[in-house]
Amino acid sequence: MTAALPRAVSPGDARSAISISGAWKAFDGRPALKGASLEVAYGEVHALLGENGAGKSTLMNLVCGLYAADAGRIEIDGRPFAETGPLAAARHGVGMVHQHFKLIPRFTVAENILVARAGASAPARRADAARRIAEVAQSLGFAIDPHARVGDLSVAERQRVEILRLLLLDARILILDEPTAVLTDAEADAVLGLLRRLAAEGRAVVLITHRMREVQRYADRVTVMRGGETVLAGAPCAECDQGRLADLMVGQAVHAATPRVRSADGSGQRVRLDAVEISVHRPDGTPAVDQVSLTLRAGEIVGIAGVGGNGQDALVEALYGLAPISGGTLSLDGARIEHAPIGARRARGLRIIPADRNDFALIPAFRAYENLALTEVPRGGFGFWLGLRRGRMIAEAEAAMAERAVVGGTPRTPTRLLSGGNAQKLLLARELKTAAGDASVLIAHSPTRGLDVAACQAVHQALFDLAATGGACLLVSEDLDEVMALSDRIGVMSRGRLAGPFPRAEIDRARIGALMLGHG
Amino acid sequence: MADRLTLTARQHVPPARQAAVLALGILLGLALATVVLTLSGVGPSAIIDEFVLYVFTTQSGLTQALTRAVALWLVGLAAVFALKLRFWNIGVDGQAWIGAIAASWVAIDDIGPPSIRLVLMLVAGAVGGMLWIGVPALLKLRLGVSEVVSTLMLTYVGFQAAQQLLYGPWRDPNTGFPISPVFDDPVERLARIGFGHIHQGIWIALAAALAAVALLQLSRFGFYAAAVGQSPRAARAAGIPVAATILIGVGLSGALAGLAGAVIVAGQEFRLTQHIAGDLTFSAILIALLARLTPLAVLPVGLVIAGIYVSGDALKAFYQLPLAVIQVLEAVILLSVVILDFFARYQLRLARPTVARS
Repeated sequence: MTAALPRAVSPGDARSAISISGAWKAFDGRPALKGASLEVAYGEVHALLGENGAGKSTLMNLVCGLYAADAGRIEIDGRPFAETGPLAAARHGVGMVHQHFKLIPRFTVAENILVARAGASAPARRADAARRIAEVAQSLGFAIDPHARVGDLSVAERQRVEILRLLLLDARILILDEPTAVLTDAEADAVLGLLRRLAAEGRAVVLITHRMREVQRYADRVTVMRGGETVLAGAPCAECDQGRLADLMVGQAVHAATPRVRSADGSGQRVRLDAVEISVHRPDGTPAVDQVSLTLRAGEIVGIAGVGGNGQDALVEALYGLAPISGGTLSLDGARIEHAPIGARRARGLRIIPADRNDFALIPAFRAYENLALTEVPRGGFGFWLGLRRGRMIAEAEAAMAERAVVGGTPRTPTRLLSGGNAQKLLLARELKTAAGDASVLIAHSPTRGLDVAACQAVHQALFDLAATGGACLLVSEDLDEVMALSDRIGVMSRGRLAGPFPRAEIDRARIGALMLGHG
Repeated sequence: MADRLTLTARQHVPPARQAAVLALGILLGLALATVVLTLSGVGPSAIIDEFVLYVFTTQSGLTQALTRAVALWLVGLAAVFALKLRFWNIGVDGQAWIGAIAASWVAIDDIGPPSIRLVLMLVAGAVGGMLWIGVPALLKLRLGVSEVVSTLMLTYVGFQAAQQLLYGPWRDPNTGFPISPVFDDPVERLARIGFGHIHQGIWIALAAALAAVALLQLSRFGFYAAAVGQSPRAARAAGIPVAATILIGVGLSGALAGLAGAVIVAGQEFRLTQHIAGDLTFSAILIALLARLTPLAVLPVGLVIAGIYVSGDALKAFYQLPLAVIQVLEAVILLSVVILDFFARYQLRLARPTVARS
C-alpha cells in the first residue's frame, strides 16, 4: 500500500486488454469523442486524466457497452468488440464503477450484488453473497453490513459497495471513474493499493481520476484526454511531472490557486452561525449527530474533515433545515433558527451546496434558468402570484451564466444536459448570488467532488470571495487536502461527534487522521 | 459486420415538432383503429362515414362530440393537475360520483334561493370532489399511504354511496326506478346554448381550461407544482411549501372531477342516474398524457376522444360492437402517440462502424 509496490511488467511484452483507435462519438451532432485512442495492457494500472467533458467517461462507456461508437476500432483481448449492453461487456470480463452510482437504493447491499450477477462464479444466493461481501470487504480493510439498504448508506459507503460489486463479478478489466473522490486519504490508499494488487495478479485497471497524487503513486502509465482527443497516449508515469500533465489536460499553463489572504485574527469578527450541542436522531433513536457545537464567524472558513458516513450528511441537513434538530440550539446572526423552516433560514442568508447536487439542490429536468430561479421564486423574486416573469428569469440567468462561465448550454438548456462542472457552477451562481449587504453563510458539502482542475479552482475562489466579503463557510469535505488548504479552523467528525474545530496552525494531518479514526 | 441502428437523445424538441407528433400519432392510431374495426366486421367505408365524416363534418355529430367533450375536458384537466404533481389520481370517477351526488342533493332538497340554485349545485359538486380527494391527499402527506390505492378504493365507496341513495331516499317515486326525481326546469339545469344538445357546461369547461393555463403556466403555483412533481426534496430545500402545493393542486384536481359530475347531472341527465361516471378515469389520464400535461392541448385531444366515443355509440348501435372495442381504440391511439413521441425525442440513425478488420 505504499509507493514502493512492484510495478507491472513492461508494457511491451504484456497482453493487450483494451485497444481503441480513432473512436468517434457524437451526441445530437455534438462530438464528445474525436478520434480518441487508448491502449491498456493486462497487469497495469492505467490512469486516464482529463477535464470534465474531455470524453473520458464516454470513451469508457464504449468499452463497457453502454454506448456504440459512431466510428473507430475497439478491441478487447485483441478481438474486435462490437456488441452493446453491459452484459456483453461483462462476458468479455469488463466491469465499470460509474461516477454516478448505479445501485438500487431500495435493495440491500447483497441484493444489489445479486442483481448485477453476470458471470457463473458470482454468488447466487443471498447468504453466499453476504458471506463473500464480508470477505472482500475485509480484504479491502473495511466492514460493511451486507443486509443494509443501499438507500440508507452514505455516499462514501455506496462507493465502496460499487467497488465490491465489481470485484465480486470477477471482472478482468476494471474501469473506475473517480473511485476515490469521496474517500479519505487512508481509505483511498486502501482501495488504490488493492487495485495495484489486482493489477499485479494480472488484471487490467483503468483509473479515471483528477488526483495527481494517485496518478504518480499508483499508476503505471497515463493517458491524457482533452476535447475528445487523446493528447498523451500511455506515457509511463515515472517520466511525467505534475505540471506537464496539468498543462496537457487544460491545454494551457495552469496557475496555482491564489493563496488565500487570511485576516490576521478572526476571533474579533461577529458570530454568524452558532450551533450549541445540536443533536440529530435517526428513526431508530440512535444519534446521527451527537451534541455538536461550532461557531462560524464572519470572514471564516471552517472545515469539517472525516470519513464519509460519520454524521456529516445529517449535520448538513439539520443545519439547513431538511432534518429536524432533536436537541440543542442553532442561531444565525443572533436569531434562533433551530426550528425555523428552510424558507426562513434562506431569508436570513443561509445557503447550501450539497454533496450530491441532484439530490436536493438542482432539478435535472428543469431548464438552467428555472434552477437558477428556484430559490428566489418562493420569496417573490420573480413576480407575485400571478404573472411569473420568466423573461426576467432568462435575462438574469444569461448574465449569471456568463459571469460564472457556465458553458455547454443556454439558460433554456435542461440542466441534466450540463456537464458536472458546469452544473456545479450553475449552483454556485445561485447559492452565492449576494444581494447588497447580506453576504451569505454557506454550508458546502464536498463542493468540488468530481470536478476538474479549472472548475475546482472556480469553486475555491468563490469560497474565498465569500469569506472576504463578510460571509462565512462551513466546508464539510471528505477530501482532506481541500479542508487543509481552505480552512481557518478544522474540526473532525467521527461517529456523530465533532472534535474541535481547532485553529489551522494547531493541527496537522497526523492528528486529523487519528481523530478521524476516533482516537485522540 | 452488419450495420447497426443507433438511438441518440435530442437535446431539444421544439413545441411545433411536439404538436406535429401528437397529430401524426392520432392519425396513425386512427388508421390502426380502422384495421381493428375491419377485423370486427365493420366495412372500411362505414368506418370513414361513422368516424370522420359523421362526427367531424355533420352538425349533429359535432354537437354530440362537443357535448361529450365537456365532461372529458374537465376530467382531463383534473388529471393534468394531479399528474403535474406526480399524484396518481386513479379516482376521478369516485370524485365525479360525489360531485354528482352533492349537486343532486342541492337540487333535490331545493337548497338556497332558486336564483343561485345552479351556482350552488356546481359549487357543491366541486367541493364534494375536493373533499373526496382530500382524504387520499392527507393520508399520503401524513402517513405515506399510496394514493393509487386510496383514490381507487374511494371510487367504489362513491359509487356505492350513489347506489345507496338511488335505491333509498332518492328513488324516483313516480316510476320506482333507481334514479332520482328530475331536477326543476330551468333553475336546476344548465341551459342549452342553441347548438344541438350543447349546454352552458361548455363555457364552464373552457373557463376551467383558461384558468388552468393561468395557474399552471403563468403563475407561481405552476412553477411550484412543476418543482414538487419533479423533485419534492429539491422543492423543499428551495423553500417551496411542498405540502400546501400538493394539497392545493390535488384539491383542484378533485374539484374539477367533482365539477364534471355536477355538470353531467345538471346539463345532460337532469337527474342522478346509474350512468354518471364509470370510465372517466382512464379517459382523463389518457387525455392528460396525450396533451403532455398542457391545459390548452386538453381541448383538441379531449374533442378527439369524445369523437371516438360518439362514433363508438353508433358502432354499438349499428354493428353490435361491445364498449370494449372503444377502449381498444383509445389504447391503440395512445400507443401510436407514445411510439411516435419516442422518435421525436430520439434520433434513429443507421451507424456504419468503420471497422478496420473483422
